[in-house]
Amino acid sequence: MPAIEALLLFILAGGLLTYLVSRLNKTLGMVLTILVSGFAFISVASYAQGAGTDYLNIALPSILTFEITDTGLFFAVIVSFVFFMVSFFNPYYVSKLRYPSAYGMLFLFALAGAIGVFMTNNMLALFFLFELVVWSSMFLIPMSGAKKPVSWYYGFSAVGSFSLLVALLLIYGESGSLDLYTSLNAISGVTAGFVYALMIVAGLAKLGGFPLHIWLPRVLGESEDPVTSVFSGGLEKMGAFVAFLVLVRITPVGTMINATSLTVAQYIVATLGALSIVFGTLMAIRQDDAKKLLAYSSMSNGGYIVLAFSIMSTMSVAGGLYHVMAHALASAAAYLAIGAVNRQTGTTKMSELGGMIHKMPLSYLVYLIAIISMAGIPPMGGFISKWLIYQALIGKGLVLLSVAAFFGSIGSFLYVFRPLAALFLGQELPQFKKTIKEAPFFMALPMVILSILNIATGVVPTYFLKYVNMVMVEAGLNEVPMTGLVIHGTNGDLHAALISGMFAVGVGVAFIIFISLKKSKKVGLMDTYTAANFIYTEELLHYSVDFYAPLERLYEKYTHMMRNFYDNLANKVREIGAFFKYFLYTYKPEITVLWIVLTLVFLLWGDIA
Amino acid sequence: MSAVLLIVIPLLMAFLSILSKKLAPYLLLLTSFAAFALLIVDVLPLETITIGGFTAPYGIELVFDKYSLFSLQIVDGLFLLVVLTVWSTHKKMASILLVALAGLNGLLLTGDLFNLFVFLEITAISAYLISTTNKQPIHTFNYVVAGTVGSSLYLLGLILLYNMTGTLNMLDMAIKLVGVNQMAVALPFLLMFIGLGVEAKLMPFASWVKGILGHSDSFSGPMIAGVYAAASLFVFGRLFDTVFVISDSLNLIILLSLSLSILAGEAMAYSSTKVREILLFSSVAQAGIAILAFMQGYTEYAMLFVALNAASKVVLFMIFGSVAKQIGSDNVSDMSGLFVNHKWTGFGVTVIILSLLGLPLFIGFTVKLGLLLSLFNDQNILFIVIILISSVVEGVYFIKLLVELWISEKTPKVKISCQAALIAVLVALVLVALGVYWQPVEQFVDQYLSLRGGWF
Repeated sequence: MPAIEALLLFILAGGLLTYLVSRLNKTLGMVLTILVSGFAFISVASYAQGAGTDYLNIALPSILTFEITDTGLFFAVIVSFVFFMVSFFNPYYVSKLRYPSAYGMLFLFALAGAIGVFMTNNMLALFFLFELVVWSSMFLIPMSGAKKPVSWYYGFSAVGSFSLLVALLLIYGESGSLDLYTSLNAISGVTAGFVYALMIVAGLAKLGGFPLHIWLPRVLGESEDPVTSVFSGGLEKMGAFVAFLVLVRITPVGTMINATSLTVAQYIVATLGALSIVFGTLMAIRQDDAKKLLAYSSMSNGGYIVLAFSIMSTMSVAGGLYHVMAHALASAAAYLAIGAVNRQTGTTKMSELGGMIHKMPLSYLVYLIAIISMAGIPPMGGFISKWLIYQALIGKGLVLLSVAAFFGSIGSFLYVFRPLAALFLGQELPQFKKTIKEAPFFMALPMVILSILNIATGVVPTYFLKYVNMVMVEAGLNEVPMTGLVIHGTNGDLHAALISGMFAVGVGVAFIIFISLKKSKKVGLMDTYTAANFIYTEELLHYSVDFYAPLERLYEKYTHMMRNFYDNLANKVREIGAFFKYFLYTYKPEITVLWIVLTLVFLLWGDIA
Repeated sequence: MSAVLLIVIPLLMAFLSILSKKLAPYLLLLTSFAAFALLIVDVLPLETITIGGFTAPYGIELVFDKYSLFSLQIVDGLFLLVVLTVWSTHKKMASILLVALAGLNGLLLTGDLFNLFVFLEITAISAYLISTTNKQPIHTFNYVVAGTVGSSLYLLGLILLYNMTGTLNMLDMAIKLVGVNQMAVALPFLLMFIGLGVEAKLMPFASWVKGILGHSDSFSGPMIAGVYAAASLFVFGRLFDTVFVISDSLNLIILLSLSLSILAGEAMAYSSTKVREILLFSSVAQAGIAILAFMQGYTEYAMLFVALNAASKVVLFMIFGSVAKQIGSDNVSDMSGLFVNHKWTGFGVTVIILSLLGLPLFIGFTVKLGLLLSLFNDQNILFIVIILISSVVEGVYFIKLLVELWISEKTPKVKISCQAALIAVLVALVLVALGVYWQPVEQFVDQYLSLRGGWF
C-alpha cells in the first residue's frame, strides 16, 4: 500500500487534476472527485485491515510525519467514507455551484487535510493540516453564493486552531518532543490544565459546541447540499478527534467533585456538552428550514460526543466514539436526502414542501432511517451509542447531565420527525406534482449504502464496537465487554439484534394493519375549512407552520443571546478600530506631531522614573 | 566590482536622465534591471567598503553583508517589478525613480548613521514626489511635514549619540555604547526609533499613510507600501541587530506599544470599508510584528516576514490601486464581484492574502510558525497570544473581502492589465512553491542563525 504521505499527495494532485479536467468538462471533473475520494477511502480502509505502509523519500516539509494509530484510523475511515459517499452528489451540482472547478479541487484538499489530521503524529503537522482543512473547506461554503457564513466560519475556526496551536506549543514546551501521542501523556500539573482548556476550545469550535456554535447553523444551512453533508458528517468530526485526544488522555488537576468522581474541569466540559445538547435541541425545534434544523441537531449531537468523552468511563467513551460514527453516517444520509429534495424543488423550507413521499419514496426511506438513528431509537446506530452513554451517566449518578441528555433525546423526537411529516408526508403540493422525480441512480446509491450502514450499526453493533474497543485499548481504557451479539453494560445487557427483530415484527404487524384497513381519502393540501372567510395566505394554514408555537414561546426571547454576544464583540472591535482611526489617523499633521511628543514623554517617563 | 555601484550608477543615471527626456524611462529600466541582476548573479563580493580611503570610524563605510544582500535583493527585485509595470505610463517619473533607487540602496548598504540620514532624506524626497501621482496635494503636503519631523527627530537623536560617543559608524558606535548608562541612551534611541517609525508606518507616528496609501494609484501604492516599507523595516532591523542594546524596561514599554499598534492596526483594518484602507491598516499591524521580531532578535524570521509582506503589498496595492482608479471608489461594496471576470488576478490575490494570513501550503505559514516557535522558545507567550489574536481579526476581514470579491451578482466593469495579472499569478506561484517546498526557507534560517552575531 502507498505511504500515507503518498496518499495525501495523491489526493492533492487529484485535486489539481480535477481542477484542470473541470476546465474542460465540468461533470467529468466532478466524476474525478468520486474516483479520488473513493481511492482515498479504500486506501485508508486497507490500512485498517493491517496493510503496512512504505515510506516515501521526498522533500516534504520536515514536520509532516505520519503514523498509523487505531484512533486515527477510526476517524479517518469514517470521514473518508463520508467524503466518498457525498462525492457522488458532486456531478449533479455542477450547474448550481459558483466555481465548480475550484469546488472539486477544494473538496479533495479538505479530504487530504482531514485524513492527514487523523494520521499525523507530529504536533506541528497537526496544526498545519488543521489549517489546511480550514481554508480549503472555507471556500466550499460560498460556492452556493452565501457570503456571511464564511467569515463566521473562519473566525471561529481560527480561534479553534490557534488555541490548538498554543496548546500544542505548551505540550511541546513541557515534553520537549513534537511527537503527539507520547507528549500528550507526558504533561501534568498546570500545563495540563491549560492544554485541557485550550484543546477543548479547539474541539468545541470545530464541532460547533456551545458556546462556539454560532457558525454551524449558518454554514450548514446556507451552503450547497454536498458541502453541508461533508461538514456535518466529516469535517466536524475533526473536533471530536481533538476532543477525544485531550479529554481521554489528559486528566487536569483540580478539585475533585466527589459526588461525580470528576474534576471541576471535566465537569465544566461535560456541562458545556450538556448545554450544547439543550441549546441545539431547543433551537432545532424552532427551525423552518430543514437544513438548519439538522444543523442544530448536529450541534446537539456534538454535545453528546463531548459529554461522553468528558465523563471518562469505559461505557461513555465507547459511546462517544460510537456516536461519532453513528452520527456521521446518519447526518450524511439525512443531509443527502434533504439535498435530493432540494435539488428537485429548490427549497428546503418545510412550510413550502409536502408530500414528497409520493414521488421520492426512496429519499423518504433514507431520511426516515437517518432520523431514527439521530433520535436514538432502535434499531439504528444512534440508539446503541446513546444507550452506552446513558449507561455511563446513570452508572456514575450524574443527575443533571443525564437530564440534559434525556432532554436532548426527547427533544429530538420533536424536531426530527417534523421534516419527515412536513416535507415527505402530507399532501402533495400542486406546484411540485408534475416536475418532481426520484433522485437519479448515482445519487440514490450513496444514500442507500449509508442507510444500510445506519441499520447495520444498530443491528450488529458488536461488529463495529470491535473497532471502538481497539481505539479504547490504545487510549489506555478498558474494552466494552461483549459476547457474541450482546453488549454488557453496567446496568444490564443489550441484545441489539433481538430488539431489532422485535422491532421488525412490530413494523410487520403495523404494515398488515395498514394494508387491511380502509384506504384513506386523498384531499388537496389547501382543502381547508375556513367558515366563510376567504383565505389570502393559505401557506400559513399549512400545519407545519409554527408547529411548536406554545413550546417556542417559552424561550423565544433568549434565542439570540449568543448570536448577539458575538455580533457585539465584532462591533466592539470595529469601535476600537474607529476610535484609533479617529484619534491617531487624522489628516492633520500637527496632531501627529502632538502624538509623537506625547509618546516620547510617555516612553521616557517610564524609563527614567 | 563593488557594491558601491548600486548607489553610484542609479545616481549617475539620474543625472543623465535629465538630459534626455526620451531616454529617461529606458535608463530607468536598464538601471533597475542591472541593479537587480548584479545582486542575483553573485558578482559582488561580500565586504565592507571604505569610501574615499578614510578608514572607519572617520570615513564612511558601506557594509555589504548577507543581511544587506538579502534586503537589497528583495527591495531591488520589487522595485524592478514596479518599474516594469509603470515605466511606460509614468515616463516623467524616471529621474525621480532613479534617485529613489540610489537612496534605497544606500539606505540598506550604509554602515554609517549620518550617512543613513542622508539616504533617508533622499528616499523621503523621492517618496514625496512619487506620492504626487495620487493628485492629492494636501496629503502629499502632510506627508512632507510628517517625514520632515521624522527625519529631524532621527537627526536630533543622532546628534545626542554623537555627542556621547564621538562616532557615527554603526559598529564603532555599538562598541562604544557598551557600558554607557542605558538611561542616557534612552532619549536618543527613542528619538531615532520614532524618526524611523514615521517611515516604517508605526502607530501613532505615521498618520500620513491614511492620506497617501488611502489614495494611492497602481504606482505610488506598491512603491510606498511595498518597496519603501520593506527598506525602512530592513533599516530598523539593521539598527537593532548591530547598534542598540536598550534597557529591559524601555524594551518592555516599546514592545507593549508595538503590541498595541498590532492590535489597533488590525482593529482599524477591521473597521474599514475601503479596500486600500484595509490594506494600509493591515500594513501598520504587520510593520508592528516585523519590528517586534527584529527587537526580540529573530532577525531571520523578521527578514522573511518583511520580504513576504512587501511582495504581497506590492501586488495588492498595484491591483486595487488600478481598480479603484477605474471605478472611482474603493469601497468593498463597489468592488464586489471583481474577480468573477478576472479569475487569474483573483487566484493571485487570493493566494497572496492566504499567505499573508499564514495559512498552510503557502510560505506565510512557514514564516509565521517559525516566528511563533522562536517566541515560544523564549517563553514569550504574551506576544504569541497577541499575534494570534491579531491574526483572527485579520483573517476575518480579509476573508470577508475575498468572498465579497469572488461572490457577487454584479461585477464592476474594469480592465486589469495583463502585466498586473501576470505579476499577481507569478508572486502567488512563488508563495505556493516555497510554501510546499520548505528547504530553501529552512536553509535560509539555519544559515542566518549560524551567522548570528557576525557581519559576514
